[in-house]
Amino acid sequence: MLKKMLENNINVVNEVSNWEEAIKIAATPLKEGGFIKEEYIDAMVENVVKNGPYVVIMPGLAIPHSRPEDGVLKTGMSLLKLKESVKFPEDKDVELLFVLAANDSNMHLQLISELTNLLMEDDAMEKLSSAKSKEEVLACIC
Amino acid sequence: MEKKNMRSKVQAFGGFLTGMVIPNMGAFIAWGFITALFISTGWVPNENFSKLVGPMISYLLPLLLAYTGGKLVASERGGVAGAIGTFGLIVGADIPMFLGAMIMGPLSAYIVKKFDEMIEDRIPTGFEMVINNFSLGIIGLLLCLFSYSLIGPVILQANKAITVVIEGLVKTGYLPLLSVINEPAKVLFLNNVIDQGIYYPLGMQNTLEAGKSIYFMVASNPGPGLGLLLAYSLFGKGTSKKTAPGAIIIHFLGGIHEIYFPYVLMKPKLIISMILGGASGIFTFSLFNVGLVAGPSPGSIFAYLALTPKGNFIGVITGVLVATAVSFLVTSLILKSSKETEEEFEESVKKSKEMKQEGKGVLNSALEQNEVSNSPINFVAFACDAGLGSSAMGASAFRKRVEKEGLSIKVKNFAIEKVPEEADIIITHKSLLDRTSRAWPNKRIITIENFMKDKNIEKLLEELLEKKQKA
Repeated sequence: MLKKMLENNINVVNEVSNWEEAIKIAATPLKEGGFIKEEYIDAMVENVVKNGPYVVIMPGLAIPHSRPEDGVLKTGMSLLKLKESVKFPEDKDVELLFVLAANDSNMHLQLISELTNLLMEDDAMEKLSSAKSKEEVLACIC
Repeated sequence: MEKKNMRSKVQAFGGFLTGMVIPNMGAFIAWGFITALFISTGWVPNENFSKLVGPMISYLLPLLLAYTGGKLVASERGGVAGAIGTFGLIVGADIPMFLGAMIMGPLSAYIVKKFDEMIEDRIPTGFEMVINNFSLGIIGLLLCLFSYSLIGPVILQANKAITVVIEGLVKTGYLPLLSVINEPAKVLFLNNVIDQGIYYPLGMQNTLEAGKSIYFMVASNPGPGLGLLLAYSLFGKGTSKKTAPGAIIIHFLGGIHEIYFPYVLMKPKLIISMILGGASGIFTFSLFNVGLVAGPSPGSIFAYLALTPKGNFIGVITGVLVATAVSFLVTSLILKSSKETEEEFEESVKKSKEMKQEGKGVLNSALEQNEVSNSPINFVAFACDAGLGSSAMGASAFRKRVEKEGLSIKVKNFAIEKVPEEADIIITHKSLLDRTSRAWPNKRIITIENFMKDKNIEKLLEELLEKKQKA
């Protein structure tokens, strides 16, 4: 399910100027695909400003998200891969952003669980970080 | 934000002091009764039993405080470290080291904890026991020597300083000011220095001329302590409230002032009410121009009345009553305005039910402890802002590991404020600790930086495995 969800929602970008921009670009496919409203993107940025960079759940990887009521239309997930990492607050380097939008807990948890499985594999981060194109990124996700 | 941080820190510190003193109240009371009953001026003097008095107050009580304080910082191992470190103080000083124990106990534990963290991953398998015991032994040895060599000079200087200040205050002629020094000095067990070193000689000199002296009363008035304990009996909470009436008997009728010291030590702000009570007592005594004919020992109401010369009764009794009333009022105000910590503390007592657990909830948030506790862990909650993103990832990852180890533990994700009461542990991101500890002051909180793989999660997993083996 994760692979299917991400198929059309992956972007690979060389670099971004700041973490806010990273979240915006990462979330664009979700907005265009009708998963979220524009305001959800602002809410995600706001969330990091307010609560600190806890969305950086492991070195190099962030999962920007906010609450369902902040503008989620349907459950979805998108991925942004940066070739040059960007700094989140507190100097946290991030090169992968998985944007989460949750509206339905079953499907959301299923996606989360698959994502967790992927990230718990020892070499997952290495593979993802060396991927250079949408196709290569997608190949890492099974 | 800053303010709130400060506030929760102050609260946690108050809870910490309370957590150190309360579990040991029983020991204080036992000592108080033994003293009031059996010392040569007690109710039923008994030379043999009175031999217990000195060692109990010099060794037992400070060691208990040190052990409890150390344990709050770094569990059993911290408690042992605290006791060893404090022993140097006890032997090095010739006065009971209560405050010293309350500093040295937690400090020693903290040092051992830091050491443990430092060598944690470097112990070769199979050597844990040897290394743990020897490291504690050697650090303990150093702490003990350190505190032993340090304390003598410190006390000497403190005595000197107090003597100088008191002599200065006496010269001003405005005696109520003496309370500003007397009361803190009493709680620090420097009362013998001031009474026998300064006030009694001054008093005796006075007595030769006037047949009585107010100096015998400036530090021995039982009124302020009575007021404090009365306020605790009415407005205190839980253990401190329940023990206060017994303490009144020991203090007011038995003249053992030391029994009220722990009540002040667990809420240091109360020194204000002691000072005001003491000062108003001295003021009243001098207003009535009364005195005692000798130094009351112990400072009970009976000793007071027995040493009151004819015609001075009204003044002496009024002075005691005024001091009682003032200290009662001020203490009541302070207790009422700072009820929160006490309530938090009592709540955590209720929850944990075990003495061992006391105060830990409040402290966890303050010290960011991840120490091993003895209560069962059946439910681990991952918390974040919405309860959907990072906490869901964290819970999902941890659940997989828990299942792999064959542990039957519930792992679930929640928004911070929606963690259910049954959760035994809350795991959250470091930057959300403040909010989490405000919402759950009594729960054990573990902070992490990496939701997928974090050393604190590894520690918890080890702890869970250990528990399973024991069970």
